[in-house]
Amino acid sequence: MTRISFIQFRSILAIVVLASFLISCTTQATSRYWGQTKAPTEQVMRYVSGSEPESLDPQVPTGQPEARVLMAFYDGLVEYHPKTMDPIPAIAESWEPSPDGTEYTFHLRKNAKFSNGEPITAKDFVYTFRRALSPELAAQNAYLSYYIKYAEAYNSGKSFVRDTSGKFLLVKDLEEKKQTPEAEKSATPTIEPNNPVENPAKTEKIQADSNKPSVVETEFHKMINEPERVTVPGDEKSRTALLEKNPKLKAALEGKELVPVKGEDIGVEAVDDYTFRMKLIQPAPFFIGLLGHQFFRVVHGATVEKFGKDWTRPQNIVTSGAFKLSVHKPYDEIIAVKDPNYWDAANVRLERIEFYPLEEQTTMMNLYKAGAVDATYNHTVPAGWKSNVKQYENEYLNFAEVSIEYYTIAVNKPPMNNVKIRNAFSQAVNREALATFRKNALNPLIDFTPEGAFPKYEEIRKRVYDELLKKDGMTREQWQSQAFNPKRACEIFEEQGYKVREKREDGRCVLETDPSVKGAFPVAEVEILYNTSESNKSVAEFIQAQWKQNLGLTLPLKNQEWKTFLKVRKEVDYKGFGRAGWVGDYIDPFTFLNLFYGKTNDSSTGWHKPEYDKMLDDANKELDPDKRYEMLARAEYFLMKDQPVIPFLTQETNWIKKPYIKGFYPNPGTLHPWKFVYIEQDPNKWDTQVKNIMKNQDPWVEEQISRLMKTQEDFQKSRQAQETNTAKTE
Amino acid sequence: MTENTQPIQGTSLWKDAWKRLLKNKLAVFGLIVLGIMVIAVLIGPAIIRWTTGFTADYIPSDVGIGELVASFPPSWQHPMGTDEAGRDLLARVLQGGRISLMVGIISTIVSLIVGVSYGAIAGYMGGKIDNVMMRFVDILYAIPYILIVIVLLSVFGGPNTPDWIKWLAELFGGAGNAGLSQIFLLFFALGLVSWLTMARVVRGQILSLKNQEFVLAARATGVSTLGIIFRHLVPNALGPVIVYATLTVPSVMLSEAFLSFLGLGVQAPYASWGSLAADGIKNIAIYPWQLIFPGVTMALTLFSLNFVGDGLRDALDPQTRKF
Amino acid sequence: MLSFIIRRLLLVIPMALLVVTVTWTLVRLAPGSFYSGEKTLPPAIEANIKKKYGLDKHWLEQYGLMMLNIIRLDFGDSLKYPDRNVNQIIRDHFPYSATVGILAYLLALALGLTAGIVAALKQNSAFDYGSMTFAMLGLSVPNFVLGPILVSVFSLTLYMFPPARFGGFMSLVLPVITLSAIYMAYIARLTRAGMLEVMRSDYIRTARAKGLSEKTVLLKHGLRGGIIPVVSFTGPALASLLAGTVVVEKVFAIPGLGNIFIQSVLNRDEPLILGIVAFLSILIMLFNLAVDISYGFLDPRIRYE
Repeated sequence: MTRISFIQFRSILAIVVLASFLISCTTQATSRYWGQTKAPTEQVMRYVSGSEPESLDPQVPTGQPEARVLMAFYDGLVEYHPKTMDPIPAIAESWEPSPDGTEYTFHLRKNAKFSNGEPITAKDFVYTFRRALSPELAAQNAYLSYYIKYAEAYNSGKSFVRDTSGKFLLVKDLEEKKQTPEAEKSATPTIEPNNPVENPAKTEKIQADSNKPSVVETEFHKMINEPERVTVPGDEKSRTALLEKNPKLKAALEGKELVPVKGEDIGVEAVDDYTFRMKLIQPAPFFIGLLGHQFFRVVHGATVEKFGKDWTRPQNIVTSGAFKLSVHKPYDEIIAVKDPNYWDAANVRLERIEFYPLEEQTTMMNLYKAGAVDATYNHTVPAGWKSNVKQYENEYLNFAEVSIEYYTIAVNKPPMNNVKIRNAFSQAVNREALATFRKNALNPLIDFTPEGAFPKYEEIRKRVYDELLKKDGMTREQWQSQAFNPKRACEIFEEQGYKVREKREDGRCVLETDPSVKGAFPVAEVEILYNTSESNKSVAEFIQAQWKQNLGLTLPLKNQEWKTFLKVRKEVDYKGFGRAGWVGDYIDPFTFLNLFYGKTNDSSTGWHKPEYDKMLDDANKELDPDKRYEMLARAEYFLMKDQPVIPFLTQETNWIKKPYIKGFYPNPGTLHPWKFVYIEQDPNKWDTQVKNIMKNQDPWVEEQISRLMKTQEDFQKSRQAQETNTAKTE
Repeated sequence: MTENTQPIQGTSLWKDAWKRLLKNKLAVFGLIVLGIMVIAVLIGPAIIRWTTGFTADYIPSDVGIGELVASFPPSWQHPMGTDEAGRDLLARVLQGGRISLMVGIISTIVSLIVGVSYGAIAGYMGGKIDNVMMRFVDILYAIPYILIVIVLLSVFGGPNTPDWIKWLAELFGGAGNAGLSQIFLLFFALGLVSWLTMARVVRGQILSLKNQEFVLAARATGVSTLGIIFRHLVPNALGPVIVYATLTVPSVMLSEAFLSFLGLGVQAPYASWGSLAADGIKNIAIYPWQLIFPGVTMALTLFSLNFVGDGLRDALDPQTRKF
Repeated sequence: MLSFIIRRLLLVIPMALLVVTVTWTLVRLAPGSFYSGEKTLPPAIEANIKKKYGLDKHWLEQYGLMMLNIIRLDFGDSLKYPDRNVNQIIRDHFPYSATVGILAYLLALALGLTAGIVAALKQNSAFDYGSMTFAMLGLSVPNFVLGPILVSVFSLTLYMFPPARFGGFMSLVLPVITLSAIYMAYIARLTRAGMLEVMRSDYIRTARAKGLSEKTVLLKHGLRGGIIPVVSFTGPALASLLAGTVVVEKVFAIPGLGNIFIQSVLNRDEPLILGIVAFLSILIMLFNLAVDISYGFLDPRIRYE
């Protein structure tokens, strides 16, 4: 027996030795770089891009992992600036808005080519936009382009109404006839509340201006600039349902013919081979920024038509970007090689990009450490590794993102239907401690737009808030103290009639939860819902502990698988709080505030206020960007005072790259225009102290950007000169 | 049926077996460890709470900036250290043991009762009955488990939980709150699959035993079918059955960790050994104690269980005496 | 025997269809759909998608069309990955999981059987305890722990093997070891138990009494009966191994079928789920048939009426 127990002992000893060996070899990392760091001798970059792309067709997939890969393969009218993500010229050398901001003219460069050598013209863009919106493609991203005139009508299979004389029924006709506020609503069944009705007066103004020499007049241009036509659902059933509800419209339709909206009717036009024109339903200042999205990047029509859904196979695919597809092994690798046909190929330095579609964070970290990948996508350094990886100041990139973490509140169920109670819960979370716990370096968040993403907006918002707070008898400090003020939170509960069982010296309290006592807080009616993930779990546990310690409330945590969770949260089928995060689609605060717009909004809270909708509508009609920001800030204040959500943090990029990868920046969307990326062999020129990477200027990248920007700047200058000239002559 | 399963020799076999088991030092060691473990998980959390004030879900974020919210190595205050949220790992391991042990026990029982009887009946009856019974097992194998879990959760786990599930949960645990019905579902889900392979193993054994002389003798003397199965065949297949049963426990504990991750089973902030180990491995390079303590506790328990299983197997072997 | 095999083979098809039907029902019961995401799609876009994939038809018609396609062995295109065909996905990714799975099972079989037989013959010896302790270790260290530990020692400290990604023999070493550990433990322990049981049975005593050499007794008679538990276990184990193992595929970034399957369920990618389930259920049934046939060879007393 003694011998046996010795064997047992030996194997246990082996584990201990192995474990201590592991500890000793992993924690003493004192070298300058993390793991194997050797610049490849060729211009080859290996990048972890996130989950397997749903498709290599730019109009189909919706996610970020796809966006990162597709940016290499497809070029659009504009490209993102590698640092700020502002639009910079790509296939469009320059562009100009019409005076009312609803029409954009793009001047395309003449040397742009597809990977098969064929030229890229305005017709290809027209094809791409029409295809993207076709109901047959059923693209999930189609809503992104609903700002284009008749785009939504075409995408949803609607019809125009034409009388026997060939005249179309116009929105205006219905309005003038009725003269009631209701009419506008009923007469524009196609327009989502999201997209305010265009002001007819303005449209007429353009027509007056359109005799300026720069505007080329075409049949299509005349049609698209006519007052808006009425559209009704093409599908019999929903049309009947609509007409039942709207007898006036029904009367107007009497004896008229329905003409389905076709792809040819949407507001995009090839004026000539190198001039592309786009008509919007409203001025959308951020829309140009959105055009860098893969959804708007150009595809080769003949290939798409010839191969159908197989056109993205490596043997069939024709691309338009700086790189072309060489190998695609799903879930394993996607290899992009430099395309010599690309119009700017002379200035593309990477010869090859290897995308690895991985999701397992530990695996990526291992590959990175072993020197088998050069960079990862955002949110990839696991929480437990952060304190260690943070030491590598030449590699770890942590910057503000256009993305926030917050909890939604089911605002229609008691006790959370009380705005004061919602606010009290918000004040009882120590956001600073949460940030420490999450190793997040940004300021605690009490607003709904992320910190640092929209500097200009933040500046204006500060001013607006000061004014509004004064009106409400509050100081800025008081407003900001909401980031953590357990004392006030307890007071609010008491004011609202809840019984406080115990008050502590530091201001925290224990609320009565025994349902048999009068004034007890109904803990059974509130829970914390989150979807399965390590980080969501730890945040939920932390928040739960906060409310337990500061208010004496133990709320149950509830964890659900993603799709189940989505359904429950969306239908506000939960009680209490739901985890949420929101990533901006474009660099404008509207991408956040829009979440609460409309009756069936995406906020998953059940919150809806018509006043708020009106505030956003008005803001978007405003052409002056500063004034618009001011109006948006008022809307945000209105929203946050009602506290349908509890914001916690601005997300951080949290990823790593090897120091020899240059021209690669932690921009707010973690979307990298690959043509600015290169590998630096000389260790003296490697990136150091990457916390300054956004301020540091890489001479080559800056030169590239200013070269590309030049066409647009020159164009704007010449336009200004022209205008001053005409002004003088007048 | 329970009466039938009593071995022919009456109590003397079990008495003998128990005596022999006690002679096996490793088995005794295993029994002692298991006993200590059960007592520890039952009363441990209360003791820790009483002496130090820590509970499995206590996050020390009282202090303004939260400098205590971090993973600390073992100390006198926290004998197993803390996790990243600053929670006492010992308290979490003990609390997690409740779930893990419970899961192990339940699925072993299901696998022993359902799996053994099912496999034995199928194997002995043979022919069409065997065919139908085993095809049913094949189908259960093939239906994606995770899909069943998702559907179970959405139908019974949400606010729309039917009353009869709440009633069942109440029957099993007193109060029909959400957490409890989740645990109940977990046991159901694990029970659903834990017996499948056991049934196949037992059937394989019975197929090979059923034509042996002692069975023919029993049949000739007019012993009933159930009598033959449970008094003659099953005891002779007990070796692989006990070994397989002890093998089921670790794999079930790990399935539990996976299911808990999906949202079924133990709800945060509480954990199980499997989920603690899964959390720990992510931070092995920086906070090794987060893996080592739950891992070693779990391994120690499984080892002990196995010693007891082996001891039991030897002790129940009708022919051990000859060796 | 032949008619038994044919009868069983004929059963495979209706059973696979039954499994597919149950799975289809479960998919329909599960909340959410392949296109549900953080953003709610405008109703028009949702309608377009439903129309495109025939989800606007009556459920009975959808079921009929699905079954018709399956009988033609065409599972259609994945919904989540619309440019990929389900048959193609299975064909592309099955080889990865099969390679790793078969190698792991062979390794487990070689080591597990040897350890189990020797341990049984030398019951209560140092080797017995040593190998069984080792086997227990393989069992009580979960593969999500073993994998990362192997990687940090052999890939990140000693730089002997690549830490992840499929490519060449060297990249297979760590995943195969990780995957085989638990099976090795199962096989070793089941073999030992089975052998102990058999070596005491009457027919072995008879064989010994006939004066056969110990080697013949062991290999010709003992082993055949002794590994029956292992054989019973092999059917389902091998089928699930071939279909891929999520943890190992994730840790080592192997593009196998296991992870794709789990993802397809989480994505509610109906054609892909059904395709893999049908494939997997046929595998399981064929393996179990093979197991039932091999019982007859291993133990001549097992007969099928």
